[in-house]
Amino acid sequence: MRRLFLLVIPAILSCGGGESAPSRKTIIDSRDTYDPRSMDPALSTDVPTGRAVAYIFDGLTRFTPDAKVVPGLAKSWDVSADGITYTFHLRSGVKFHDGRPFSSKNVVATFQRVLDPKTKGGRGWPLYPIKGAEDFAASKATSISGLAAPDDSTVLITLKEPLSIFPKELAMPVNSIVPDNPPADFGQKPIGTGPWKFVEWRHDDYLRFARNPDYFDGPPKTDSLMARIIPEMSTATAEFEAGNVDVLSVPDEAGKSWATDPVKSKLLTSAPALRFWYVAINVARGPLADVRVRQALNYATDVSTILSAVMAGRGTVAVGVVPAILGGADPNRKGYAHNVAKAKELLVAAGHPKGIDVDLWAATTDQSPRLAQAIQANLAEAGIRVTIVQRDASSVREAARNGKSDLYVKEWWADYPDAENFLYPLLYSKNKGAGGNVSYYSNPKFDALVDQAHREQDESKRNVLYTQADQLAYDDAPMIYLFFYKDVYAVQPWIKGFAVPAVFNGQRWTDVTITK
Amino acid sequence: MLSFIVRRLLLSIPTLFGVLVVVFLLLRVAPGDVVQEMVGERADPETIARLRKELRLDEPVLSQFAHYTGGVLRGDFGNSYITQRPIMTDIRERFPKTLLLAGSAMLLASVLGITLGVLSARNPGGWFDRLGLGIAYLGISFPVYWVGLILILVFAVTLRWLPPSGYGGIKYLILPAFALGSRSIAFLARVTRSAMLDVLSGDFVRTARAKGLTERVVVVRHALRNALIPIITVLGLDFGYYLTGSILTETIFSWPGLGRYVVNAITRRDLPAIQGSVLFLSVVFVLVNLLTDLAYAKADPRVAYS
Repeated sequence: MRRLFLLVIPAILSCGGGESAPSRKTIIDSRDTYDPRSMDPALSTDVPTGRAVAYIFDGLTRFTPDAKVVPGLAKSWDVSADGITYTFHLRSGVKFHDGRPFSSKNVVATFQRVLDPKTKGGRGWPLYPIKGAEDFAASKATSISGLAAPDDSTVLITLKEPLSIFPKELAMPVNSIVPDNPPADFGQKPIGTGPWKFVEWRHDDYLRFARNPDYFDGPPKTDSLMARIIPEMSTATAEFEAGNVDVLSVPDEAGKSWATDPVKSKLLTSAPALRFWYVAINVARGPLADVRVRQALNYATDVSTILSAVMAGRGTVAVGVVPAILGGADPNRKGYAHNVAKAKELLVAAGHPKGIDVDLWAATTDQSPRLAQAIQANLAEAGIRVTIVQRDASSVREAARNGKSDLYVKEWWADYPDAENFLYPLLYSKNKGAGGNVSYYSNPKFDALVDQAHREQDESKRNVLYTQADQLAYDDAPMIYLFFYKDVYAVQPWIKGFAVPAVFNGQRWTDVTITK
Repeated sequence: MLSFIVRRLLLSIPTLFGVLVVVFLLLRVAPGDVVQEMVGERADPETIARLRKELRLDEPVLSQFAHYTGGVLRGDFGNSYITQRPIMTDIRERFPKTLLLAGSAMLLASVLGITLGVLSARNPGGWFDRLGLGIAYLGISFPVYWVGLILILVFAVTLRWLPPSGYGGIKYLILPAFALGSRSIAFLARVTRSAMLDVLSGDFVRTARAKGLTERVVVVRHALRNALIPIITVLGLDFGYYLTGSILTETIFSWPGLGRYVVNAITRRDLPAIQGSVLFLSVVFVLVNLLTDLAYAKADPRVAYS
């Protein structure tokens, strides 16, 4: 039997790919691994929901696959000199899929709906910068004082304080514009202005969309789009090899065999993702309060070996929290190179000649367990004894948010392409706990730099501030800096015009075609 | 018989209530938090507190329980916190698919497993018996996800006879049903074989043969009928398990059944969805057990319920 499999498996692996185009006129995506929460933008707090919402709806702004922010329903916007007032000039003649016209009133109603606690969405923060938004969310006001629609094609937004990245937050799926008075089953039968009209949702099976011929930015080039929900990576791979799906996120484990296969390697395309793997160090706990101990943890971790061994080399070593593709990244920063002797030295200097004991929390999903084991082995060499606490993702997250973890290996997916989306949630003192700062890091100088960057309207000056803030935190080492992930996709040869998106909702399939 | 059924159903009510209490309390003491799951990776304490209030999670557990149980008694399982869809709608949509898969797996298992077992028992130690033993060992030892992946590789990717995954017509059903049923096929074959061996050495079989009945009639009508009790036990147990948790099979084959729904609900700590589906599955389990008991009586007139 065993010999039979040795014969069969290579035969199986060698086939697939390089086939003729299918006769279908539907693009089929295979990336969703679980059923979306809803098609209601106000509930888009997960990746499958955010992707689908980006097909059906538009925000005032939107992302391109290569992480640029471009006009959406707003054709342009002006910012007052003090950075407080934004005037959005809306496109005229835009219609929802049911024929109702889009106007500035929809924007006001949509934002109110997102903030209304009755909506039970849970993602108000992208709108909190608007003056009066938090009061409205707390039911202390009946309208949002900083939000107005002076005429049908203008939206006037007054912020609490200047926030230069505000237009990027508006491109998040949660801020997509919905028609007036959405019915109770809106999440099941969504109506937007976007390039694709919603057709059908078979839960845990697939979502189907049809081309919106009247899309204001030019209709999609293909008839229809299907997002299949495939929980198991090996199954998605089999579907791709059978030619049934057009795009596959290649599993890390399969990366090497695909890259070395003469046929399959031609189908691969990759791009750096705005995804950051790191180990949050809770700076409030025991020996971890000492910066030398935290630096020792960084020196003891052999990130490049872990990256190639565990992640099949998919990514780049992180020297700071700002990915290289974003402004504010410092390509010349000298990183903590792997140096066990230096790590031991720092531990001795910190008064721990016999090493220390720490817990490392890891979820049971994705690559967390394997990363945790690799890090545990690395740290042991420097005398840091690690106990791995492995729980399901929800339990681990709760513990970390309550400050109960020493170390926590995790991944951060950016919501919008800006250095701020890494620096602020992960390290700003106000965001300790649920806000994203599970390192419990707090440094007034760092906070001041980020505050300054929030106010700075000039992009290059802002990037300088980001670099400084990133450097400051890097020296304080509130985390073990691991790597920025690189997405590797396989794309069928008959698919043209597909680009790997840097932000998860950056690919809307409008330029993608199936060619013979 | 009818009074037996009614009594069994009435007796199941305290069981189900116990299930409800245990699930409800366990979920409240277990780590993890549905609100944290709803807000995702970035939120502020005020938003979290408002959601708690909105979902009545800030109330004492007892009053939450009373509120929930009140709903259940009115036949309302409530809405999912995460998706906001009614739990009943979700279950109604997915359970028929799980039933179809479990039913097909059981059908395959009974036909193949019993046939294999009967044929093996007819000539114990012979070549077919040994072959059957081999197949049974394989079926019992290979985990279902492995069987599933191999089936996909061979029949969907290499031979292209069947689609690798998804839900649709019969061609989507064959591979997952076979993967799910493989263990039952093996197990049933073994159970049938040993039960048949017991029966075939009985005096009444010799009598039947002496009467000059054909071997087929002897085996099928006389022997098999008497070997049915252990077979029904295995069928009943496996069917119950398949209905309540063919999670691995549903995941491998992207089958949109109830198993995946439950797993998703647990991952996201979707309290009403977990409570509702566990309660529903308990009802299913009670019913399957009842049907199994009724089948005993049908198969063996000596078993009588009153």
